Amino acid sequence: MTTTSVPRLKARRVPVKHKKAIAIFLAPFAVLFAAFYLLPIGWAIFQSLLVVERNGTFGKPTQVFGGLSQYVLVFQNEAFWSSVGRVLLFGVVQVPVMLGFALLLALLLDSPLVKGKKFFRLAFFVPYAVPGVIAAIMWGYLYSPNLSPFAAFTSNVDLLAPETVLWSIANVVTWIYVGYNMLIIYSALLALPSEIFEAARLDGANQWQIAWSIKIPLVAPAIVLTAIFSIIGTLQLLAEPQVFRSFTSSVSSTFTPNMTVYATSAVPNVSLAAAMSVVLAIATFIMSFTFLRLTQRKGDK
Amino acid sequence: MHLNNSKRIVALGVLAALSLTGCAAGTSGSGGSDAAADCAPSDGKVDLTYTSWIPGIDKVVDIWNKENPDIQVTVQTGPNGNGGTYKNFFNQLSAGNAPDLGQIEYDALPNFRVQDGLTNIASCANVSESKGDFIDWTWNQVTFGEDDSVYAIPQDTGPMAMYYRKDLFEKAGIAVPTTWDEYAAAAKTIRAEGGYITNFPQNDVNWFAGLVWQADGKWFENDGDKWDVSLDGAESEKVADYWQNLISDDLVSKVPAWTDEWNNAYNTGSDWTWISAVWGANSISSGAPDTSGNWAVAPMPQWNAGENKAGNWGGSSTAVLKGSDHPYEAAQFALWLNTSDEALTALNQEANLYPATKDGLKLPVLAEGVPFYGDQKIYDTFAEAANETNADFTWGPTMTQTYSDVADGFGKVLGGSGTLNDALKTGQEKTIAALTAAAIPVNE
Repeated sequence: MTTTSVPRLKARRVPVKHKKAIAIFLAPFAVLFAAFYLLPIGWAIFQSLLVVERNGTFGKPTQVFGGLSQYVLVFQNEAFWSSVGRVLLFGVVQVPVMLGFALLLALLLDSPLVKGKKFFRLAFFVPYAVPGVIAAIMWGYLYSPNLSPFAAFTSNVDLLAPETVLWSIANVVTWIYVGYNMLIIYSALLALPSEIFEAARLDGANQWQIAWSIKIPLVAPAIVLTAIFSIIGTLQLLAEPQVFRSFTSSVSSTFTPNMTVYATSAVPNVSLAAAMSVVLAIATFIMSFTFLRLTQRKGDK
Repeated sequence: MHLNNSKRIVALGVLAALSLTGCAAGTSGSGGSDAAADCAPSDGKVDLTYTSWIPGIDKVVDIWNKENPDIQVTVQTGPNGNGGTYKNFFNQLSAGNAPDLGQIEYDALPNFRVQDGLTNIASCANVSESKGDFIDWTWNQVTFGEDDSVYAIPQDTGPMAMYYRKDLFEKAGIAVPTTWDEYAAAAKTIRAEGGYITNFPQNDVNWFAGLVWQADGKWFENDGDKWDVSLDGAESEKVADYWQNLISDDLVSKVPAWTDEWNNAYNTGSDWTWISAVWGANSISSGAPDTSGNWAVAPMPQWNAGENKAGNWGGSSTAVLKGSDHPYEAAQFALWLNTSDEALTALNQEANLYPATKDGLKLPVLAEGVPFYGDQKIYDTFAEAANETNADFTWGPTMTQTYSDVADGFGKVLGGSGTLNDALKTGQEKTIAALTAAAIPVNE
């Protein structure tokens, strides 16, 4: 990102005081950050550069440096790329729908026309407080053709069939995260100064116009933020489809990229799994960054 | 043997936590020699750790701990093997802190051996001598058919037979099928009655392997230089074609096994039979409590009338994992656990385990009638099956991967695309690819 440099007072180099205190305060974070973030990532990258060698049918495995050969295998891995394609399709449909709902609910909560705001705010948010696995189990039962309370419907319309299961999962994910995204957008709305709306009303704008022409453009950064979270979340989809494997045979062990990584590491082929993780992380980074650039450029005008 | 839902959730939580920190696990190429090393007792008191997913195993181990104050065993429990414990073992082995003993199913032993995770305990006292105590095929599994090699002590087996709803068969006037042809004919009659003869389980690929095993098929062979993979061999093809027809004609139900929906299918009398292993007796009685007294057990249907062949589904061994400082004591505990009458009786009472020893099959607890099965002495049928199991079936070194890839193919079939044979062919290709990726020599 190129930040347009704001003329700043030239800071005089002040000698840093309290070096020890700073170090002491930083140490807990630095240690944890290194141990649980940098080290695993570094190890995964290192692991992804190794290949196994052995002699004979039961020879001992030795790991040797293999350059980028695991990455070549990742790019040849059909299952991995079809899982990436599947979550992209999922994201293209589910993320806009979910954020649309979240925005709508946030605007409704912010509008002076709605009563019982506290109740609705909590009600919309509650699904996010339900652990994802539990939510997936609950929905799995609701979808089930024989055990569902709506069996009359689900036994005729198979919501767990190969063609429909992706969208059934999308529904679960939407149900869970709509309230969470709504809350982010809603808090952005609350932060807007009320004078703007007073001015708009004086100019004769109705609630609909205020929402469309004032509120939405002003909370655009919050929407961008929720979109990035959602893109990352989509690429890392794991718990919901994994749970659905016990409800239907339509969810394969390589349904999403993370499931493919997990299945590969269980073989165990940790080097290939590590290479997949790295590729996935880079893809997530590129997509989030691209989205940020695209939306920011629009905002700069 | 299988995850129930709540355990699955716990496993998922662990899985999710793991995925957060990325996937980082290394394997150091260290490790001692494969040959049976000297196996001497340690001095002083020895503490052993043992990881298993058998329910109630701690009570069985308590018996040992009381009798052996100098060799104390601490039990750690976990999810079932493919549900997470194997993955933990692999990680612990590379970190050098694996438990002394671990429960490993026969089909996973080759995987642990190619990952250099097992200790050869052939030279530990009483181990090699116990060969004759065990059912022949189980001993082949733990020795890989080699002399001077014992990598685990057989624990239990899963000889297969046919559980069927005696009451429903009688009411519908169907004779109990003794051949697969009769079984398919019965399937049509049962479907006309509104039921299904059985369920085709997508994820139980080892169940399907048990059927191939019965048909004298082999999925893997190891000639010492290279592995042969034949998931799509002639016998597999025969079994796959047979079940494909049942699936295509809508004569079997297709719910995922080990779920509430599956239990429901049996509990409500919608599914009439289950070709399953001896340990399945508990799965039915706990999953379909309303059908108590209505079940019976008969030998598996045969491919040729008059034959008496059985397959096997499941069964575990107790292995001494690499890096244990006390292989002698660990081996003695494993022998006691899996051969002594008191331990085998306790294992059967706690977890319904079916012994892998020849004498174990004659235990008093296994001679009793079982009320859920109309007081039939069901274990007699399984004892016969155990002795009729082909001793030469060999598992490959990447079964977790093979199961998962074949199950994905089976899932497509149940979703209406492809055939079981397609699934086996894809499984064949992916297994060869996985072996190649692990630098394991394979005949292509």
